Amino acid sequence: MLSLALAAGALALVAAPAAASVLGPRAAHSPNADDIRTAYWVAIIVAALLIVAVHVFLIGALLRYRARRGRSPQRFTAGARAFVRPVVPLVAVVVGLFVFGIAMMSDTRDVQATGPDGLNADAALLAQVNDLSIPPTAHPLNINVIGQRWLWRFEYPGGRPGDRVFSYSELTVPVDTTVLLHFTSTDVTHRWFIPALGGQVDAVPGQDTTTWFRADQVGTYHGQSMSFSGSGFAAMRGWVHVVTPQEYQQFIARKRAGLARAQKDVVKALGESSATGGAP
Amino acid sequence: MSPPPVATARPEVVTEELPRRRQAWIERATSTDHKSVGTLYIGAALAFLVAAVAQLVVMRTQLIVPENTLTDPEIFNRIMSTFAVTGVVLFAIPLALGLFAYISPLQVGARGVAFPRLNLLSFWLFVSGGFTIFGSYLWRPSEAGFAAFPPLSEPLYSNTHGVDAWIVGTALALLGFVCFGVNLVVTLRNMRAPGMAWRRVPLFTWGANLCGYLVIVCGSVMLAALTMLFIDRNFGGVFFDPGYAGAPILYEHLAWFFFSGAFAFIVIFAAGVISDVLPAFARKPLFSHRAAMACMLAIAILGPLTWMRNMYTAPIPTAFLVGAMLFAIALTIPIGLLIYNWIATLWGGALRTRAAALYAIAAISAMTVGLAGDLAWSLIPVGWQIEHTTAAQAATTCVLVGGAVLGGFAALHYWFPKITGRLLGEGLGKAALAAILVGLYVFAAGSFLAGVKGQPTDVYKFFSGEGLDGPNLMASIGAFVMAVGVLLQLGNAAHSWGKGVAVGHDPWAAASLEWFAASPPPIHNFDVVPDVRSAEPLYDIRRAIRDRTHSWRPQTPARPEAPPPEPEPQQEPEPVGQGDSGDAQGGAPVA
Repeated sequence: MLSLALAAGALALVAAPAAASVLGPRAAHSPNADDIRTAYWVAIIVAALLIVAVHVFLIGALLRYRARRGRSPQRFTAGARAFVRPVVPLVAVVVGLFVFGIAMMSDTRDVQATGPDGLNADAALLAQVNDLSIPPTAHPLNINVIGQRWLWRFEYPGGRPGDRVFSYSELTVPVDTTVLLHFTSTDVTHRWFIPALGGQVDAVPGQDTTTWFRADQVGTYHGQSMSFSGSGFAAMRGWVHVVTPQEYQQFIARKRAGLARAQKDVVKALGESSATGGAP
Repeated sequence: MSPPPVATARPEVVTEELPRRRQAWIERATSTDHKSVGTLYIGAALAFLVAAVAQLVVMRTQLIVPENTLTDPEIFNRIMSTFAVTGVVLFAIPLALGLFAYISPLQVGARGVAFPRLNLLSFWLFVSGGFTIFGSYLWRPSEAGFAAFPPLSEPLYSNTHGVDAWIVGTALALLGFVCFGVNLVVTLRNMRAPGMAWRRVPLFTWGANLCGYLVIVCGSVMLAALTMLFIDRNFGGVFFDPGYAGAPILYEHLAWFFFSGAFAFIVIFAAGVISDVLPAFARKPLFSHRAAMACMLAIAILGPLTWMRNMYTAPIPTAFLVGAMLFAIALTIPIGLLIYNWIATLWGGALRTRAAALYAIAAISAMTVGLAGDLAWSLIPVGWQIEHTTAAQAATTCVLVGGAVLGGFAALHYWFPKITGRLLGEGLGKAALAAILVGLYVFAAGSFLAGVKGQPTDVYKFFSGEGLDGPNLMASIGAFVMAVGVLLQLGNAAHSWGKGVAVGHDPWAAASLEWFAASPPPIHNFDVVPDVRSAEPLYDIRRAIRDRTHSWRPQTPARPEAPPPEPEPQQEPEPVGQGDSGDAQGGAPVA
């Protein structure tokens, strides 16, 4: 019996990571995504235990109390305290999950400061952005994200307003740096979701919403809009390239130079076209 | 095909000039008899179930392999945009309403309903709503998503009249349901038989009462939202236009309030069916009638209040989200107690494993899985990960299919003999049950595995190389198996309607009053309205009949005071003319 239990335990230890990779969300690469994973596993295990408990008794009753020759039903009904036994564990589950849910929610929303390998971007001007509480030492990188059918536009900090570096669909950020994403939308409601870097958040026209992440590893993470937005919805995907701070600075410089060059070309083309009287 | 609405009633009405009998279809379409209206509702709901199954099969065929090019995104979106209203507004709710319309007045010993014409009007409103939605397939149906959330459903992004057809069709159906709810609530308040106190009302009818209030409250809210959207689209309104300080989120609130109410409606309907079916087949009373009533009431109150759990990602103040989480998690208590109640009812019983009982038990299983899943997603941080993915959809599907399809078929198996005088085929019914249950679980498992990896709902294709291929194939296969099961059962019902095994009026030896009437019941339901003295009036009637029968025999002096034996329900239902069935109908009021 003991050896059987030990074998089962060993099997569980071996199988658990494999099962977790199938049954669980994609691997987390940000503290808020970590908190969501913790909440997910607790909730899914509680749900699984409830399902198993109900089915053990349900199938047990079905098999044990079928009509057979000579069996007559015992016609009993509930006594005065019949519901004390089930109520106590149910209340415990409810209270426990509620408190745990609140705790994990505020953990997920607690913005953490930029790490030693990160880029100290802006001084935090606000201690509270929407529902996120931001420590004064956070030095977050503030990026505006604008949802539009069917892509995301990212506006990087720095530069004059209206002359900022931007990119579409692919966001490049430095590793180990607190990134605040400020969302809005120019048309319909979209929903940002990069599973490795935290939960979903709506981009609603006329309102601004915020989320944050701090990627712990260089790499590319992808996700997809979660709010139905019409015929191109399936193509509305997003990629986050996490790079070193040096590479990030180079990326911004390259982008800025490219934008300046493109602008110059446009001005030149406009000048030429006005010189030729509007002919191309 | 249809049963004669007028059976041989004993108190004959003789008039000088009998009204000319109208043609059968006119009689069927215009009869204000609650049983005729109920039959129409059930038939129309099952027809729309076929449409929903067809839509599901097309969508799951498109999603069977990654980057499938079988259907255009526009075609997929049209089907997807009408699927949710077909499943919930045109199938699940009207099926429940049809059973309520037919059975509830019988269960409380009423000879009719309070507003019979309103009852009939509600059916035609609902059907014209359904025709409006499917009529738009003739040109171009809505492509604005399952609930037509603005701004996507505003004219700027949906400039065809498909969305208008969707709005008008859904609103007509909901208007019908509100009318129906008024009639149902008033009937159950005022027309119960003498002695039928609320504590003695069968739980199916208690559920009908709660569902009546739910459709009045939640249906009206959705009607308001649809009206505002219609004004926005056609008369230059700006209720939901952010450009003019309108709030697109307002519509989300109202729509989710309705859908959460519909969700609670379906759970309560199934709870009522299960609470009536299990005691009849386990041959013992429900473990606790009062606790079940209280639990269903708690679900009716808490259910609609959880609407914001579908909006954890939206810009809403935290306190509201925490409140929604509290209500959603607190639902565990009444649901858990109901399940406890049902298992305790089976415990110590002698369960006849007829199809109705098995469907009821399968409904408990599916709803348990779905509600446990919903409990997990209702934690706010888990919701941020799982909401709007196919994983959340899997849980919701388990509840809706478990409640409306499995619970609905349990009800159909149980009350089919009352409606038609014939049994619904047992063998095919059990085979269909196996297909539906296995299909549902395979579908839900596949959707769950795809959803935790981040696949959104409502998407017409997915990409390979993201670990979504296997789960989607699995979900598609499950959906096909489920579809086969549903169609098998509908064929079974169509066949049994005319050719089923004929049975007496009380084939299950059940305890509630509808089995006191003939099958199908005469137009006035009961020749004699019995005096109700307990929650199991038919047991009382049987016992009284037995007592009288015994009193005719010469008493043997050996055991003069021996109490009459507990009335033993029949082992298995037999065709007509068995047991005490002949005596109960038309018997004198039982003291």
